[in-house]
Amino acid sequence: MRLTLAIHNVDSMRMGDSTHLDGNELAVDPDELRQIILDDRRLQSVDIEIVSPGEDCRIGVVFDIIEPRAKEPGSGSDFPGILGPIEMAGRGITHVLRGAAVTVVDDGVPLENGKILEMTGPAGEASPYTDLHHLVIIPHPDQDLERHSAQAATRLASVRAAVYLAQCALELTPDSAEVFDSEGPVVKGREGLPRFAYIGQVHSRQRVAEIDEKILYGDNTAGMVPVSLHPNEWLDGAVVTCNRAMGAETYFYQNHPVIIELYRRHQEDEITFVGTLATMAASDNEERDRNCMLAAEHTKWNLAADGVVLTKYGGGAPHADLSLTARRCEELGIRTTLQVSDMSWDRRAESALLFNYPEVDAIVYVGGRDTDWDVPAAGRVVAGNGELAEELGAPRNLIATNVCGVSSQQGISRLRSMVH
Amino acid sequence: MRVVHYLNQFFGGIGGEEKADNQPQAREGAVGPGRLLAQVLGENAEVVRTVICGDNYAAENMDALTAFVINEAKDARAELFVAGPCFQAGRYGVAAAGLCVAVSSEMGIPVVTAMAVENPGVDLHRQSLFIVDSGKNATEMRDALTKMSEMAGKLADGREIGSPAEEGYIPRGILKDAFVEQTAAERLVNMLQAKVKGDPFESELPSPSFPAITAPAPVADMSKSRVAIITDGGLVPKGNPDNISAWAATNWGAYDISGQDGLQGDDYEVSHRGYDTRYVEQDPDRLVPVDVLRELEQANVIGELHGQFISTSGLVNPIANSRRLGREIAAQLKESEVDAVILTST
Repeated sequence: MRLTLAIHNVDSMRMGDSTHLDGNELAVDPDELRQIILDDRRLQSVDIEIVSPGEDCRIGVVFDIIEPRAKEPGSGSDFPGILGPIEMAGRGITHVLRGAAVTVVDDGVPLENGKILEMTGPAGEASPYTDLHHLVIIPHPDQDLERHSAQAATRLASVRAAVYLAQCALELTPDSAEVFDSEGPVVKGREGLPRFAYIGQVHSRQRVAEIDEKILYGDNTAGMVPVSLHPNEWLDGAVVTCNRAMGAETYFYQNHPVIIELYRRHQEDEITFVGTLATMAASDNEERDRNCMLAAEHTKWNLAADGVVLTKYGGGAPHADLSLTARRCEELGIRTTLQVSDMSWDRRAESALLFNYPEVDAIVYVGGRDTDWDVPAAGRVVAGNGELAEELGAPRNLIATNVCGVSSQQGISRLRSMVH
Repeated sequence: MRVVHYLNQFFGGIGGEEKADNQPQAREGAVGPGRLLAQVLGENAEVVRTVICGDNYAAENMDALTAFVINEAKDARAELFVAGPCFQAGRYGVAAAGLCVAVSSEMGIPVVTAMAVENPGVDLHRQSLFIVDSGKNATEMRDALTKMSEMAGKLADGREIGSPAEEGYIPRGILKDAFVEQTAAERLVNMLQAKVKGDPFESELPSPSFPAITAPAPVADMSKSRVAIITDGGLVPKGNPDNISAWAATNWGAYDISGQDGLQGDDYEVSHRGYDTRYVEQDPDRLVPVDVLRELEQANVIGELHGQFISTSGLVNPIANSRRLGREIAAQLKESEVDAVILTST
């Protein structure tokens, strides 16, 4: 299956009378976008702002960050099951506004532990999002709505905005193209190359997914067992983050660092990238045993992988699923590497891993607990409401785990903890 | 810089194992390896005094030795304390590391020691000292002293100490964040390629090694035993009277269940943010099974259910903290003459 990303570079963004690309400048018609977003009657209003790279600006609480993308007609559906009708994602042509982002603020959560985007200073430099031009949207759901309905409306607004922006590029000639082409696990002519797969958690049942929470093709993943996905499906809108995601944004599903790295090695004939599984962290032991067993067996007998990269989602408990899956893979002769998040509250190596399997011995440790920044008052604040803006804009201590992208669980992080 | 140096009886030139009971003695100036130490430290440092002590004496009289050494170091107006290098000599390493910790906390001057990774002194004091890795081989004396001298210089200047690999000390088990060139994805795939090929690779976190805990002997007769329930699932009475934190809890609570046939959801809440707590909130017996244990008590399968259950929150709890909580809980249950416990987790 072949996915072509038609890349339209965006190097500036402004409000305008119509939404269009003028060279590499994106003009956005806020009125038309507002009309499209407010078609959802759960929303009372929406604020729309532009934040540019280098601007002294703080944004929060961030619900999600999405790269503006739109499917070429006949190529499939935009965010199938989440926005568009169910169709397989990952084929045909998708237009991309590279350098732009739709950044969505959740107006219904307190600042505590919420994700923040800091555009400048050392905290900004550590984030992969600060060189993007952000169209920030702040949907204001009806106050009487139940929280999950408000979040569902925020999710819908987020993908609508992302698709709306990119649709202006459908008729235009792209600046470049990126091709992601994989025949799946059955590949001829690549004998002798190690076969690599990816297993990624897309949710953790520590927090129960709401009935209207859309994660995988619009499904909330309740009752889901591990499922096989073509790598392109991740890149092309089949998966978005849950309503309250720690260390993950949809942007890095669309630009999945692990999948892109595996593709790169595949294209350089170092490995064969045989496929991926989406799985989730369980809420009880039986479910965990079942999911981990199935994921490992799938990797062995359907993907015939020699090696697999595993990543987790959520907080502490998903390490149990991550490590048990890796252990089952190792037992089946599949070598594993896994990325864990920083769980050491006392900064002692002995407390850092929430598992202890000798065969699970190749770990990438994304740190974050002792990286923080004292930031001054922000020149500009974009927040859910005035009260939050005042709180957010004041001088504060930002911990890396709360700054979007810095201690990402999706593989983009350059932070690591070293044992000293 | 005025340096006081500690040596055992062997390196101090007094004798071998037959002199291991020798009491500590102080000598002016450098002795044995101390002369080489003075050389590598250079012109700005002088080994002003050397304390020599037998390994057995040190092992059996650590307090007396410590007092002796601190007294000598103060008297000699030491600005740097060096012990060893000890290589694989176990009693020597334990004494040297222990003295370094004591001198550092008592006098606040830089301290340096060196030994092999396998030396028992390492496990005892690695968390509080920069222990230079001397290797096993005592013929590498100059190498070890050179590394110690470099470490001493940095500590004396108050310079930041880099990673164990850069600085040559034995990892202390402390995590420090750093920004690196490669993304996590690149690191993951690189490591996987090496691992699949059978090439060497370095995990960013070595697997922890915990001593195996032997399973205790089975309870001889459950029908005569007092049984308690302990949970780390965070069940607490409404209002969380002991303020048990929802993560990394530093305390635990004991809650009365005497005379109750089971627990009611209305009476309890859950202080734990790491799992789906709805089912426990509905019926706390799912986590703390008072209902079933009461039936077993009536059927005399167990002798008696202890009058309190014990609760804390295990979520992301540091090991050192967990150990302390465990000791405290065990001590209290022992005092209450509890014979057996059922641990429930989430």
